[in-house]
Amino acid sequence: MAHAAQVGLQDATSPIMEELITFHDHALMIIFLICFLVLYALFLTLTTKLTNTNISDAQEMETVWTILPAIILVLIALPSLRILYMTDEVNDPSLTIKSIGHQWYWTYEYTDYGGLIFNSYMLPPLFLEPGDLRLLDVDNRVVLPIETPIRMMITSQDVLHSWAVPTLGLKTDAIPGRLNQTTFTATRPGVYYGQCSEICGANHSFMPIVLELIPLKIFEMGPVFTL
Amino acid sequence: MAAPPEPGEPEERKSLKLLGFLDVENTPCARHSILYGSLGSVVAGFGHFLFTSEIRRSCDVGVGGFILVTLGCWFHCRYNYAKQRIQERIAREEIKKKILYEGTHLDPERKHNGSSSN
Repeated sequence: MAHAAQVGLQDATSPIMEELITFHDHALMIIFLICFLVLYALFLTLTTKLTNTNISDAQEMETVWTILPAIILVLIALPSLRILYMTDEVNDPSLTIKSIGHQWYWTYEYTDYGGLIFNSYMLPPLFLEPGDLRLLDVDNRVVLPIETPIRMMITSQDVLHSWAVPTLGLKTDAIPGRLNQTTFTATRPGVYYGQCSEICGANHSFMPIVLELIPLKIFEMGPVFTL
Repeated sequence: MAAPPEPGEPEERKSLKLLGFLDVENTPCARHSILYGSLGSVVAGFGHFLFTSEIRRSCDVGVGGFILVTLGCWFHCRYNYAKQRIQERIAREEIKKKILYEGTHLDPERKHNGSSSN
């Protein structure tokens, strides 16, 4: 989860998120250099002694400041498109989970190997145990195996919601009447948090998502296969 | 403020953010690129000044040098970093396979020795 006042991205828990962080670093370096150049140009403008107001054209400079931004955009667009198409790849998922958004909780269905269905409500502050996270912890977490391709089918029963887990690089809209699909493979075990990311009413901020990622051997012993 | 590191966990370096957003300490290759860029900027700008004695133009050359050297170092370092990550991932997979299948007919070393003797 994010720590207090965190501005940067969370550590990656999936290969896609690792790629997104790499791309973010790449774009940020380009942005930094552009900002540096603009600050320098501003400094020159403020300190120049040149006062000729009759300059009418500067063909060479105009060519440069047209071609250069185009090159910069290509340098940013190519890795961006590569990751975009990477997120659309579906690598033969082993498990499919359905996630249904409601006002204001999530329902999860594990129907591949049985009929496990449960609701996931935020824990009210009065019900928090010591160590629980306020406004983030839920009564029933989504338990999933690591190092296993997983498909999430996301929809909504009422209004728009969005199922987001930043550390996995996931954010998919839950739209009533539509089934959206996202896939991921988690690389390390742990408890990971997300929050609803589409305004959905009074308690939009109070319907978090909690994933508990565990080794496959332990997952196989759980209720998904034994119920 | 970051959560304190667990015992045994490497301590996260204190972040230094250039222009308020570029974290050079925690972004791989950023510190290396900025330092080389600064060096390139000083060499180019000062060198130009030594030959021409023009201050403003030398400053322009210095800034241009900084941008070009930083970009060049950045792409070079990130390319090597990406290659290293791929190699690490391959090594990790191979070690895992070796541990899982050692002594069985799926042992990667047996397959490799078998193919090289053929």
